[in-house]
Amino acid sequence: MSSSETHAPNPHLAHHFETIEKQDYAVRLGMWLFLGTEVLLFAGLFLGYSVYRHFYHEAFHEASRHLDLWAGATNTVVLITSSLTVALAYHAIKKGQTKRCAGLLIFTILCAFAFLVIKGIEYHHKFQEGALPGQWYHYAEVTAPGANLYYTVYFLATGLHAFHVIVGMSILIWILSRVLRGHFSPTYYVPVELGGLYWHLVDLVWIFLFPLLYLI
Amino acid sequence: MAHETPETPPSQIQQHEHGTGRYFLVWAILLCFTAITVITGRTDLGSANLPIALLIATVKATLVVLFFMHMTEAPGANRLVFVVSLVFSIVLLVGVFGDLWTRHPMSLPPTAPTQESFDR
Repeated sequence: MSSSETHAPNPHLAHHFETIEKQDYAVRLGMWLFLGTEVLLFAGLFLGYSVYRHFYHEAFHEASRHLDLWAGATNTVVLITSSLTVALAYHAIKKGQTKRCAGLLIFTILCAFAFLVIKGIEYHHKFQEGALPGQWYHYAEVTAPGANLYYTVYFLATGLHAFHVIVGMSILIWILSRVLRGHFSPTYYVPVELGGLYWHLVDLVWIFLFPLLYLI
Repeated sequence: MAHETPETPPSQIQQHEHGTGRYFLVWAILLCFTAITVITGRTDLGSANLPIALLIATVKATLVVLFFMHMTEAPGANRLVFVVSLVFSIVLLVGVFGDLWTRHPMSLPPTAPTQESFDR
């Protein structure tokens, strides 16, 4: 390397970007664009929920009372806490605290797993009761017309959300492995930030799903 | 593995420093709102239940976006992208509900569908 060079080449800088600042700007914008499409994806589901709730108000009200409120509330706390720890992990890696960041990511991943376990137990109860979507519905306690539609929306919305939890968890595991391999530093931590952003989106969706499905 | 440090770390350009305190504060507020929404959600407040639940969810979501997702520190383009997606979601909802509320009620089947109604 010649002594006349003023900038050391950053190993994370792709050749089509002039500077790491421009690259970081571009990847953050790209992530927000992706999050925007995620919002639109879930907006469609929320719309479907709203329309069927409008048609079958009584059934939706009654069926929502047969969900396990405490499982839903516990999962809300789990997700909010995991959102906190992933934000703290981002803060830690920015400060160069690699071990702390790894520990916080491990806690976040465990929260994601706990969420899926609780959700799985809930699904299992619903399967046993026969509170199933569409034509498979045979739940004796809620017989109002439209109750099967409630459970169609319930399984679609929570299923798509659970899929996002699985994807988010996988991304965080991948990020964790890179943190442990020492890939990140106070000068390069954008993947941790973007993985965190995705995880916050998973939390955001649940913030709306929880009251609409369990409380209304 | 060794990473060489560029002369101007990007973190120092766009973010002013703050401690972890604000994350814990936001987390505590989110937990409080969760407790409030559970209590108000299962209390019969008539037609007020839905707006209250949506209001609390919106406040919680705003806190997450602003502080956990650092929207307060994001450049204008990123804010624009996200806000536009929210605006179009609202356009979708308003458009569909504008239609539903100005129609004659649709005729719906009087009972829950049974296995026979699917076999037919």
